[in-house]
Parts: sequence; structure tokens; C-alpha cells
Amino acid sequence: MARKKSLTQAPVPRASKKRDLPDDPYEIPDEAETPRRRRRLEPISRVNGNLGDKTVDENGGKSALESTPVKRRGRPPKSAATGTPKTQATTPTGRRQGQVAETPVRRDGADTPSRRNIADRSARRKSARALIDRVIGGTVSDDDVEEGDIAREIYESSEDEEAEADEQVEEGEAKESTTPSRTPGRKRKTAGRKRSPTPPRDLPPHEQYFYQNKPGLSKTSNNTLSSLDLLTHDEYFSILRQLKDPHAADVDFLQSLHAESFPQWAFELSQGFSTCFYGYGSKRRLLHNFASYLSSQDPSHKIVIINGYVRTLTARDILNTLISALPSSLAPASTSNPATALQALLVNLTTTTTTTTDNTSSPPTVAVALTVLVNSIDAPPLRRPVLQSFLAQLAAHPRVRLACTADTPDFAYLWDAALRTSLNLLFHDCTTFAARAPCELEVVDEVHELLGRRARRAGGKEGVAFVLRSLPENARALFRLLVGEVLVAAAEEQGNHDGLLLGAGEAGEVAVEYRMVYNKAVEEFICSSEMAFRTLLKEFHDHQIITSHKDSIGTELLSLPFRKDELESILEELAS
Amino acid sequence: MNEHEDINASFEEDDHRAAFVFNLSSKDDSGKPYGRPPKRRRTAREHATALQKDSPSGPAFPALFGGAESPECVKLRKDLFETAWPVLENRIQHVLREANRNTLDEVTSFLEQAAEADTGKLTAGFIITGPNIASQDLLFEQLAERLSTATRARFVRLRASEAPNLKAALKKIIRDATVRGADEEEDEGVEITQGGRKYLDYDIEALHVFLTQQPQQQQSRRVVVAFQDSEAFDSSLLTDLISLFHSWRDRIQFDVLFGIATSVELFQARLVKSTARQLYGAQFDVAQVNSVLETVIKNAVAGTHAGIRIGPSLLRSLVERQHNQVAGIQIFVSSLKYAYMCHFYANPLSVLLAEQGRLPRGLLKPEHLEAIRTLDSFRNQAEAAVEARQLNHAQSLIEDDEYLVNKILEQGQKRQEYLLHLLRAICLVEATGLCSASFTDLYILALNTGINIDQPLRTVSLEDALKRLNPDEFVSLIDRLFGAIRTGSPELGLDGWESDAEEFVHSLTELRDEIDGLRERSKSNRTTLKSKYSAQSRVMRTTVVAQKVQLSQDTATLTEEDKAFTNAIDALIMLLSQDLQCDPIDNLFLHEVWVFDSKVPYRDVFVPPLGATFGRALSRPHDYLACACCGKANGGLAATLPTTAILYHLYLEAGALINVADLWSAYYALVGEESNIGLEERSALVCFYRGLAELRMMGFVKQSKKKADHIAKLKWL
Repeated sequence: MARKKSLTQAPVPRASKKRDLPDDPYEIPDEAETPRRRRRLEPISRVNGNLGDKTVDENGGKSALESTPVKRRGRPPKSAATGTPKTQATTPTGRRQGQVAETPVRRDGADTPSRRNIADRSARRKSARALIDRVIGGTVSDDDVEEGDIAREIYESSEDEEAEADEQVEEGEAKESTTPSRTPGRKRKTAGRKRSPTPPRDLPPHEQYFYQNKPGLSKTSNNTLSSLDLLTHDEYFSILRQLKDPHAADVDFLQSLHAESFPQWAFELSQGFSTCFYGYGSKRRLLHNFASYLSSQDPSHKIVIINGYVRTLTARDILNTLISALPSSLAPASTSNPATALQALLVNLTTTTTTTTDNTSSPPTVAVALTVLVNSIDAPPLRRPVLQSFLAQLAAHPRVRLACTADTPDFAYLWDAALRTSLNLLFHDCTTFAARAPCELEVVDEVHELLGRRARRAGGKEGVAFVLRSLPENARALFRLLVGEVLVAAAEEQGNHDGLLLGAGEAGEVAVEYRMVYNKAVEEFICSSEMAFRTLLKEFHDHQIITSHKDSIGTELLSLPFRKDELESILEELAS
Repeated sequence: MNEHEDINASFEEDDHRAAFVFNLSSKDDSGKPYGRPPKRRRTAREHATALQKDSPSGPAFPALFGGAESPECVKLRKDLFETAWPVLENRIQHVLREANRNTLDEVTSFLEQAAEADTGKLTAGFIITGPNIASQDLLFEQLAERLSTATRARFVRLRASEAPNLKAALKKIIRDATVRGADEEEDEGVEITQGGRKYLDYDIEALHVFLTQQPQQQQSRRVVVAFQDSEAFDSSLLTDLISLFHSWRDRIQFDVLFGIATSVELFQARLVKSTARQLYGAQFDVAQVNSVLETVIKNAVAGTHAGIRIGPSLLRSLVERQHNQVAGIQIFVSSLKYAYMCHFYANPLSVLLAEQGRLPRGLLKPEHLEAIRTLDSFRNQAEAAVEARQLNHAQSLIEDDEYLVNKILEQGQKRQEYLLHLLRAICLVEATGLCSASFTDLYILALNTGINIDQPLRTVSLEDALKRLNPDEFVSLIDRLFGAIRTGSPELGLDGWESDAEEFVHSLTELRDEIDGLRERSKSNRTTLKSKYSAQSRVMRTTVVAQKVQLSQDTATLTEEDKAFTNAIDALIMLLSQDLQCDPIDNLFLHEVWVFDSKVPYRDVFVPPLGATFGRALSRPHDYLACACCGKANGGLAATLPTTAILYHLYLEAGALINVADLWSAYYALVGEESNIGLEERSALVCFYRGLAELRMMGFVKQSKKKADHIAKLKWL
């Protein structure tokens, strides 16, 4: 064993260099790997050891790190011993296979060489030959040292890969066996080729991004939520009502801290700045309290609140509210185009600086001013550039003050430099941790959409009734037919399953055959052609009150995304 | 106004409305607060009543010193702010408007000329505005004003976002050109019709008819269309518009203006050649941002009109932001305003800025004096007094309130003197023409380290530069100094100070006369006048051995005149070093009263770390909530954290693709029945839903189609 350390002239710095530059830039050097490699190499060096040409010191205290290259270097002479120079070209292969048998680790490794392995092997062969030549030649010139280094590097690198492959297999096995704990298994698997099982911590965000988006690395488990009963709206709200937030008091306290800044914010608004409150948590209450504060300060001051989270928000809504908030004398002549109407409104606002005297109700000499408070300025309906420039135009007016809240971390990209200037924003960190109200965030829909489960649909049976009311008679008839068929199918299925009760959520899964429904529809004179039938179905699809899919043999199936009891009541309503 | 009655809907109903007029129907607290939690409501209310009792107009400032500040002081601070800022704002607006004046003149005269010389082409002005689209607004606004008065043309401003296609662009042009006209004429309401039929709103014919229908004296068939951000327009749209305008040229005289951020060459490359040939154009440059910034700083920051001083470090970071980011001068002005607001709003000592007459002694309360005694500059002053063995002075400062008040009142005068001296010194340094640094750099340096003529400005110190003067430069330098003293600097608001600097002027005159005499003499001797220093500077470049030899030679060859000249230079350096000597701003007693140098509010409010704030809230909720339960987590994962925070932690650990089933099981393992939180499964699921929905709403995850029940990570904070 001691003799293997004989070739100490192997350049130590090289070894350390290799450690500094792992082939994967995101790898953290892992000390644990070294022992394994050593173990793998030991037998080889034991064989080769006696061929070392120089015996220097037998310093057992040498670190494992330093000795690794030495061992490697000791190896080639073995083939030199077995083969004559002429047959060298073939020897490495043979030697290699022999080695495999010796190395315990390799036994479970895949022996079939990949294409890359084959390519590497020839390079390896050449470099091995170069090393052997040098050892046999005995003389080592400077040039040779350099060449030798390159050759050794090729030799070593291919060896590293093998070792890596081995380890990966082992690691994979280890991963399989770990129980799904609270750190999900997929986390480790993303490590992929990595030797270290833990992903690197404390990387800067951009590095993290590239690390996690390395191609082929996102391995996640195949678990699905199929075993879990997803929540329905009703269940969600009934449980939500009982849940108590343990942080409620702290959240309230935080809110009261923010409330202390109200005078400051009011001052900033009065100085022509707009304020933007950002941070995690719902800021709707805060803004509402701010509105009460402002109006308590100056009751004559008009405050308009815009709820950005309302999905149907349009520029016209905003405009109409603005007009209703201001004295009617300021209303623009025409409101056919919101953009021009707003311009006209603002012009009117500028020109009537002190002409409020003609208004009998308003106190004299109080200039009309308006405060606009926007909830969730970065909500999807407000993200359209048209609306943002609409708001910016509003904010730029000296008599209009604007305060808004923002919920996403990157809301600042909403505005370009010009908009930013006209908004003239001041930002305040208003992290509230307050839970979002149902109106702000439709939790169940959001999550189901995220999971791709059920798309947003007309809400419940009332929605269906509403939709059907706007459709022609034959569409209503078709839907009644469909509901009836689905209920019949559900009843049959229930019969088949005997005692097995149909889960409330699974009623939607009951499907009827498209063809069958079509035939029945023709029979009942609902439609005369498949074309017309399709058109009717399309209408239902648009309102998301039916879903369709194909089964394994390609039969088209139609189903209704409602619970059984809902279906029954719909049917009742339709029949009446 | 009638809407009020029916907006007595409850808060909950308002939630689902897109927009509504806020109406606090009950003015007193007895009214039902609309389902608002009473606790929070009260907080806001108390605050309001405590602080805002007697403030009929505009929001008042809060009382400082924990509410102990007297209402007079509060009012005084507010008044001070309201008098200090508008002065500056006017000056700044003036500067900004003046900066564009040249461009405006050029553009106007070009358009006039082009109108007279019938080129058969479309007149086009290319205005190189630079990359900052924010500052273009003012320019185009001014152009609109100017052109509509000077040429009686209709002016239409187009932005790419407003005109995505030809139809929209034409609609906008026609609308603006006609509406504005109607507005000017007191709603004459000219209905543009053609035999009773209305024109389509993108038919230029309508515009033509409108223009011909105008009353005689106002008749003008010119329409100027300005493309503010020409780069952002689709090039085919531009081409279409240009050829359309060209074809209408005989009926309506269209002129076009392009705001160009890059270069005319690039712009031209985007146009079809035949279109480009229809243009007859000229290029105009806008004043450089840097020079505008410099002028603004001179006027509003450094000038005598500035009520408070922006400290060197804040000023530097403001200026750097201007240079590094394309922030625009408006942002600078806003930042400046915000600094003023901060100072008067939050610094109780800012009342001391009031002029002598307005600050009755009685106004200074013990709180003020106590606050003053905690200031750094007070401590420095006291320590300096002790070191200088002025123990009485030091003791009185600390113990005798009356004494301190006197000293404080004296400071007002001293501050004026210091600032005047500082500005004059900077003015003189600039007048020497020997320093390459810009005024801004010079000013910041002077505030930071004071003025010392032997300190290096950029590369060479003023002293060295002075030594290298030759006689002609010497004389012209003295003349320049005279000029500066006589005229002062109007930009800085600095009048000439000849009467104050009689002695200085006198010595300078003597020096100049002497040099003049020396020059005469050396001219008659046919030698060139040089100084010891200019000779030496040549020696410096040779070897060490040679240096000695040459140096002695050189001094040997110095004539009597040369020696006199050397003496004159020395005298000038002495004179300047005495006269320009200036302390850094924070050496002054009570500088805290009138210097604002805090970068924190500025940074928080103008360049907030958005991502970091969200990241921190989610990863360390305890920092915000200060709750009893989560303190132990210390940025780690704990079951007591808010749901979204837990999910965020798991999210951070996950890869780019997240399996929701695993996420759920991990979450449930943490808070589920077996853990110490012990949430029942369905309840946990409700929380999980909420957390997930919030993550989605904040844009952290999106649906992934790669695998069932998987979501994709979107954010790396």
C-alpha cells in the first residue's frame, strides 16, 4: 500500500485545479466523493505500484486529495508490463476490462458503452499510450511533462465520468428508497446528474434560475392529486368560516402601524405625488381605511375607489364613476369614447378652477378636487396599457390625486418612463399579511385553473339558468335532454356499482356518448343536422356548462360539470 | 350628485363593484362603520382627531416630539415648506422651459420657411430627443403651444400606443385637430357634415371640411402632426401616413415632426425610399440632459434661493442616478421636492429656518433645546470649546438654556454668511477656468470636504494649476476673477460682491499691475517671463541626477523679473487660499437644521427593492408580524408561519417544475394532524388552496401542461 505513493512528482497543483473547476459550475465540491474514488482505485495501484520508477518518500500523512492523481499515474505501467510496444494499441482495452472485474463498484454499473464512451475510449487509449511511452522511455523532458499532463487529463476525465455514472446509479437507488418526507422527493431528483444530493443554497436568484432550469433536470415524482377530493366552493367557504387565523391580532397590529402613516400619505398626495402601496397581503382594508381618513379630513373631498380585481372593469366604468363623483357641470359633452371623454373632463376640471360658486350646494371657493384610490393596480383587468395610460393621465392632472395598491412583486414593469413620470409615484412598503377577501381572489377557481382541472364556468345552477334563458328554445331543449341523459347514466352507473355510492364530486365524470345524444336530439326534432347540433353544443362550450372528451377508443363523450343534486334541480327548472 | 343617495350600499357590496364613489355617510364615530373591524377603524380615527384638529385647509403636519410640539411650531414648519418649495419649483420650471427654447425657435422658423418655400414635399422636423421619453412630454407640449400661436397650425401629438394602426392614427389626428378647435371657439359645435351625412371618423375629408369652415381670420390649413416616439411606430404605418399626408398636400398642409431617440439615419433606414423622398426635413437637437441637470442644480440646489441644502451624499446619489439610469430630470425634481417635504415634515428643528422676525423666542420649547443638545454638531461644538479651553462657553451651552437660544439665533446669520462665502468661493474657482470638474462635482466636493486650493480636483489641484500659469494667463485669470466678483452668478442667484471684497480686489489689482509692469520690462528685454515653477516642471521630467544640475542652472537663469513673477504667483496663491478657504458643511454648528442628507427615505420611496420586500415578507414573516409563534423559525420553515409563507419556503426548495401532490403532502405533513398544529385535513386543504391561489396571483407559479398536477415556477426573487 505504501508504495503506491511513490510517484510524488505528479503535479499536486493540477489535482487542486481539478477540484476548483468541477465540470459542472453549479456543483459544490463534495468531500464525500473522494473516499469512493480512492477505494475504486486502490486495487489498480496495488498492482501497478511496483512498476514505479522512482521511490521517494513514503509519507503516509499525505492527504487523499493529493494522492489521487498519483495513483492514477501509477496505473499505465501495468499495461506496459503486459504488452510490447507494438501491441500497445490494443492493450488498454484488455487492461480496462480486466480492471472492471477487479473494481467492485463497477459491477452494478452499466457496461454497455455509450457512443460518447466509445469516442472517449479512443482518446483514452491514445493518452494511455503516451503515458506508457513516457514511463518506458524513462527520460522526462519539460515538453513531456506538459504533454503527459494533457494525456493524463484525458485519461482521468473519462475515468471521472465513469465514476460519476456509477455514483448516479447508486444515488438513484438511494433516492428511490427515501420515504416521502416533508421535503418532497422531487427536490432531490432535480439534482439529476449532480453528485451532491442537496441543491446549492444561497445562490443569487439568477443563478438559481439557471440551475433549476437546466435541461432535463426537472424530475418530479408521478404522484397526482387523484386520491384527494378537491374542494368545492361550498365546502371551501363553510370550512373557511370556521378557520381562525392565529395571526389575526398581529395582522391587525401591523395594519394599525400602517395607519399611523395616513397623515404622511395624505401630505404626499396633496403635494402632487401619487402613492403606491406594495407588499404581501391584501391592502384593500388599508386603502378603505385611508379613504375614511381622507374623507374625515375633508368631507367635501370626493373619493373614487376603483377595484382593479373586478374582472369586468373597463375604462368606461371608471369614467362613469368619475363623472358621477364630480359636479354635473364638469361632465363632458359626449362619453362615446372614454379616452376623449376623460380628456374633456380633465380640461373642464382645469378651466373651472373657482367657478364652483354657481353651484348652490357646494361651499364657495373650495376647488373641486378628486382623489382616486385604486385597489390592485396590477390586477389583470388593469394591466392593459390603455387603462394604465388612462390612469396616468388622470394622475397627472394637478387636481386629481391617485393612490394605488399593488400585489405582485413586479408591478413596476407596468409603466414605462413616460407613464412613471406622469404618475409621479412614491412607493411605500405596506406588507399587511391580511388575507384576501373572496372578492379579491377566487381561491377555488384559481387553484383549479392552476391544476387545469375545471375551467371557470358559469356559476352553479343559477348561472346555467341565466345562460339558458338567453339561448333559443331548441338549445334549452337540448340541454334538458342532455341533463336527463346524464342523470340516467349516473343512475345506471350507481346501479352497476351496487352499494358503491357516487361521490358528490364525481357526478361530473358521468358521460354520455355524443352520437347517442345526437340521435336523440334528431328524434326529438331539436335539430335536423349535425352541423346545427354542433353549433348548439358550441354555445354550451362557450359558457363552459358542458365538457367533452374522448375515451380510449375514440368515442366522443359529453359530460356536465355539475353535481348530481345540481343537475336534478336544473332539470326541474328546465322542465317547469 | 344624485348618485350619493343610492351609494349607501354596504362595504361588502362595494367590494364587487368595479368603481364607486366612496361615501362616508356617517360623519361621527357613532355611525356603523360598515362592517369594518372596529379596532382598526378606531386607530385611524384617533389619529385623525389627535393630529388634525384645527387644520381646515390641506393636511397639516403632525406634531413631533411625540406630540409635544406646539401647534404654532407645526404651523410654522408647514408655512416654511409652503414658502420654500414653490420658489424653487418656479425656478426649475423656468429652467426646463428655457432649455427647450432654442429648439423651439429653430423648429418654428424652419416650419415657417418651409411653408414659404414651396418644395412640393412634406415638411418634416426631426427632433433628436434622446432616449428619455419622459422628458419629451414637456418639449412637445411647448411645441404645441408655440406652433399653435406662431403659425396658427393645429397641433396633434401622436404616441405609438395611441395609434396602433392607420385607422386609429387617423381617427386620433382628426379628433384632436377638430376638437381642440371647437374648444378654443367656445363650443361653436360645428357639425361637419356633407349634405346631412356625417363623415367617417377616419376620413381626412372631414378634417378638410372642418378647416375650410373655420372663420376667415383663423383660417389656416396647416396641421402639424408630431410623432413623439417615432421609434415605437410601425414603419409601415409611418410610410402609409406619410404618403397619405403627401397626397393631401394640396388641400391640407400637413407638417410632421418626429421625436427621435436614436439617429435620423436609423429612422430613414426604416422608411421606404420613395416615402423618404417625399420628406423635406431638418434635424434639431435638444439640450443635453447633463447640461439641463447642471442648470437645475445651480438654480435649485446650490443657488441662494434654496431653502435647505441637500447634503453631499444624497446629492451625489441623485446625480448618479441621473447618469446611470435614464431617469429623467423630472425624477430629479421630484426627489428634490421629496427631500424638502421630508425635512419640514419630520425635522422639528426646521422651524429654526424661519427668518429672525418670524421666530419668537417663546416658540423654542425645552424639547427643541433638548433635541439640539443631542445633535452631533452640538457635541462637536462643545468638545471643541473644551479643547480650546473655553470652558465657560461649553458649560453654558450645555446648561444655560438662554445662552443656547442666543447661540442658536446667531446661527441663522452665520449660516447665511457661510453659504454666501461657499458659493462665492465656488464661483471664483470656476472663474479661474483651471479646474476641469463640472460645477456639480465641485459643489458636492465643497460640501463634502470644503474648499482648499491644494486639494486635488479630479487630477490636479488648483494650487498646482496656478503655479503653471504663464504671465498672460495670469493676467487673464485675474480679469476673470474680477468679472466673477463684479457680476456674480445669476444662475446661482448670486449678486456681484465688489463692495464686500474690496481688500481682495485691491490686492488682485496690485498683482495685476505688477505683472503688467513685469511684462513690459521683459518685452523690452526680449526675454520671456517665467516663474520658478514653470521651469521646475520641466526639470521634473528628467533623471534624478540631471534634476539637481538643471535645477540649479534654471534658478540661476531666472532673471529679476522672473523672480518677481514667481513672487506674484506665490502671492496670488496665498490670497486665493485665504479667500477661498471654506469648511465642509458638516463642520458647522447646527447644520442639521438646514442640511438634509439622508438617503434612506429617498431610496425607499423612489427606488424600492420590490422583489426583496416580497421575498422577505414571505420568507421571514416574523419581521413584520412580530408574533410570538414564529420568532423561532428565524427565516426557516415552521408550521406556525402563514400558509403562503410555508408554501413559499417549499417553493424555494423546489425545482422549476413543482408537483402539487407532493407540495400538498409536504405541507400537510408539516401542519397536519400529526404535527403540533394539528389541522384537520380539509381545513389544511383550505389553507393550502388559499396559499396556492395567492402564489398564483402574485405571479409565482403558473399552470404547467408538462405533467398532470404540476405547476411551473415563474419567479426567482
